[in-house]
Amino acid sequence: MLDEALVAQVLGAAQRGGADFAELFVEDRVNTALRLHQGELRDARDGNLFGAGVRLLYGTQVVYAYTNDVTATGLLELARQVAQARGDAGVTDAGGAGGLDFRRVDVTPMQVAREHPLHAAKARKLALMRRAHAAAAGVGAVRTVDVTYLDMVQRVLIANSEGLWAEDERLSTRIACTAIAQEGTDRATGSSNPGAGRGLEFFEERPPEEIGAEAARIANAMLGAAYAPAGKYPVVIGNAFGGVIFHEACGHILETTAVEKNASVFAGKIGQRIAHDCVTAVDDGTIPGAWGALGVDDEGMVPQRTTLIERGVLKSYMVDRVGHLKTGEARTGSGRRASYRYAPASRMRSTFIDAGDRTPEELIRGVQHGIYARTMGGGSVTPGTGDYNFAVNEAYMIRGGEVAEPLRGAALVGNGAQDLMNIVGVAGDLHLGQGMCGSVSGSLPTDVGQPHILISEITVGGRA
Amino acid sequence: MTRLKRDPAAQLSLEGAQTFLLGLARARGLELEVFAQREQNTSVSALKGEVTQFQLSTQQGVALRVLRGGAWGESFTENLSEAALERALDRASENAELTVPESGAALVNWPPAPALDLSGEGLSGVTVAQKVAAALELDRVAAGADPRVISVPYGGYSDSVRDWQVANTGGLERSAQALSAITEVYPLLSESGQSKMDGDWQFTREFTQLDPTRTALVAVERAAALLGARPAPSGAFPVWISGRAMAELLGLFAPMFSGRMLEEGKSPLAGRVGEVIAAPGVTIVDDATLETGLLARPFDAEGCPSAPLTLVEGGLLQAVMHNQGTAARAGVDSTGHAKRYGLGGPVGVGHSNLFLRPHAPGGAAPPAAFSGIQLLGVSGGHAGANAVTGDFSLEASGFLVQDGERQHALDVFTVAGNFLDLLWDVRWVGADLHWTSLGTGAPDVLVGALSIAGQ
Repeated sequence: MLDEALVAQVLGAAQRGGADFAELFVEDRVNTALRLHQGELRDARDGNLFGAGVRLLYGTQVVYAYTNDVTATGLLELARQVAQARGDAGVTDAGGAGGLDFRRVDVTPMQVAREHPLHAAKARKLALMRRAHAAAAGVGAVRTVDVTYLDMVQRVLIANSEGLWAEDERLSTRIACTAIAQEGTDRATGSSNPGAGRGLEFFEERPPEEIGAEAARIANAMLGAAYAPAGKYPVVIGNAFGGVIFHEACGHILETTAVEKNASVFAGKIGQRIAHDCVTAVDDGTIPGAWGALGVDDEGMVPQRTTLIERGVLKSYMVDRVGHLKTGEARTGSGRRASYRYAPASRMRSTFIDAGDRTPEELIRGVQHGIYARTMGGGSVTPGTGDYNFAVNEAYMIRGGEVAEPLRGAALVGNGAQDLMNIVGVAGDLHLGQGMCGSVSGSLPTDVGQPHILISEITVGGRA
Repeated sequence: MTRLKRDPAAQLSLEGAQTFLLGLARARGLELEVFAQREQNTSVSALKGEVTQFQLSTQQGVALRVLRGGAWGESFTENLSEAALERALDRASENAELTVPESGAALVNWPPAPALDLSGEGLSGVTVAQKVAAALELDRVAAGADPRVISVPYGGYSDSVRDWQVANTGGLERSAQALSAITEVYPLLSESGQSKMDGDWQFTREFTQLDPTRTALVAVERAAALLGARPAPSGAFPVWISGRAMAELLGLFAPMFSGRMLEEGKSPLAGRVGEVIAAPGVTIVDDATLETGLLARPFDAEGCPSAPLTLVEGGLLQAVMHNQGTAARAGVDSTGHAKRYGLGGPVGVGHSNLFLRPHAPGGAAPPAAFSGIQLLGVSGGHAGANAVTGDFSLEASGFLVQDGERQHALDVFTVAGNFLDLLWDVRWVGADLHWTSLGTGAPDVLVGALSIAGQ
């Protein structure tokens, strides 16, 4: 993307104020967004995000600056500003960097396409969307259908004053369908939105018809459903996007971004039991074609498969460069940022509770009076306290070990440190679901995942 | 005379990019709207008396909309080379060809916009050292305000100067600037094994009006009040909704008032303009001309001039928000609510400074002997609130109140209901307006019943 001599010059100029470390991140990203409403293409948008950021570290202090002007003049001006910023912010040391002899990181892109989104015509993308629409429109009481198609190709260059040079291409495609069912004044919504770090061939494996049909199924199932009850219940949580519970309840507070600020209840607990022994949890950046996969992280490190919790015992945090400097834990290739507009931070990639040895049916049979949360929406957490919430979009009562009447969605809330101990059963049907995770370094594609799990007790935010 | 050949990869200025695009569109006989934006930001975070992160940025780009055969096509680019701009125009034009025509879609040369002062004295006289001092003060005051503060993990100072322009091939050309300076802080307190975090923030258009000490003290006071929490009961209770929580709810359900959501059958208010939808004390206003409001702007994303709009007056739904296209299809004038969700987002319909009007000073006194739940804040709204149905089920923080006396804070619990039912059930409206960082505001309100789930 840029020549080595210019990059070396920029890093040298940036370090002139005495920084211990300088890093340049350059990004050129193109994306397409299409929206069908009632089968008609209403929005069509292409975009090009283009910019560069320079990060300096003085000890653990971070100075970051970015610009859209990715020319030699623009980058050298950026370097001058970022070097001066520290002077304005505090002490300026003497010194600087000499020439750099870059070592290229051997990157195997984890997101590759057989049918590359940049080379596919919009008509092809539209045809896929129409198939999803057709599978949802008019099914049962469905009255309104929206289908969105998104693709993204991001090329990045990461170079630093240690001589690292890494380039990666990330790409993704996604189709989201939302169906609204209506009878009289009663309305219910259903949605399905799978994506992958792959090209359009992904929709051979996940045919658009399945996406449309799933959205329509949920909307119809929830129409006329009663509200969930309010209070504490045993809950069986469905697989795939059900993993949002681990993501919110536990994932965020295992990022060093929270741990290093003493804003995590799991700070200092490596080696200790923090979950029931049926829980093993992993954060993996190396699953080829996954939504959260990376050839290199945004600090230029080849990611790992990181076991976070093994049989209930905390094994590792997710660690970026600054997290390593502050906590002493080894880096895990978890430094991520939404774009050049953010300094990297430790973030999740594909995070899941690993498969256990029960079956979903066994878990449900074990509940006399409780809730089956079959499909989930998003959630959030307050890192300092571990209080979290996530939304259930499709739920059912469990009575006498059997799935009974449908219930409208409700929030489930709890506290991460306590509730990990309450995950008492884990089935074997592990799947991943795709989400966008918003945190300190912006909104990023991450997978959540799990098999069906049983929580002995959790607060269900239904109606009294 | 030598004609200089321009480098197609050289970056143009923002103004240059706009001129280049409009010229190119005119030469090709295309109808084009260009939205151009430049933003400069500084942010500083501090922890334990030291600056942990210092960030500087300049960001600019252009968003294009081409109108062709009555259909819109969109694109945006941050690469301002002639080659990239031409590519962006090609893409927008191709997209317009693919999308369906929307009746009434037009490029308009709107009447003049009101003059608003959104920049105050500016930031040029403010040194980096002053900004750093504000971040350090937030951290220092919050850390020292209470022995139970164990960390001040989130917060800091940030400012932004945003310049934007809207122009179209119909002759419209207008520009604006807005400045914001913000301090925010979220201290973490711990006592008897219980950890609680809450915060406060301040937004201003004048750096000198920032008061980091006060913001830090309020934040610590709020978080401290949450300590000693006990499990919440489950059931239906009268709820005293704080202005902050009410403003958060209003923000979550603002799409109900969008002309776009109405025409697409995604709002429960469709076909109800002119009906009573709320209790008599409920008046909801959107006012982009409120200079002290976070989302103030002289004109909207299409260049349409801003004016205050009363959506609900004394419970009666009077109007909804429109952009040019949704207004044309609804047979009304644009209300100036075209909104871009970021440079790369679509042009939709969205609120500016949207608020529930407080009771006039000297109005009805708050009920003295309230018993129920005092709702302090809600979270998880991006997933737990459904603007299509009005239903919500959200994580909440708050207190148990008995006969007007606060008993104790509550462990994490949920509050659930339906926003339109809630508006019907408003029994009392307070006098002080609280604003959220989403640009929505509300006073305290009292409602008859909402569902609470705790133990």
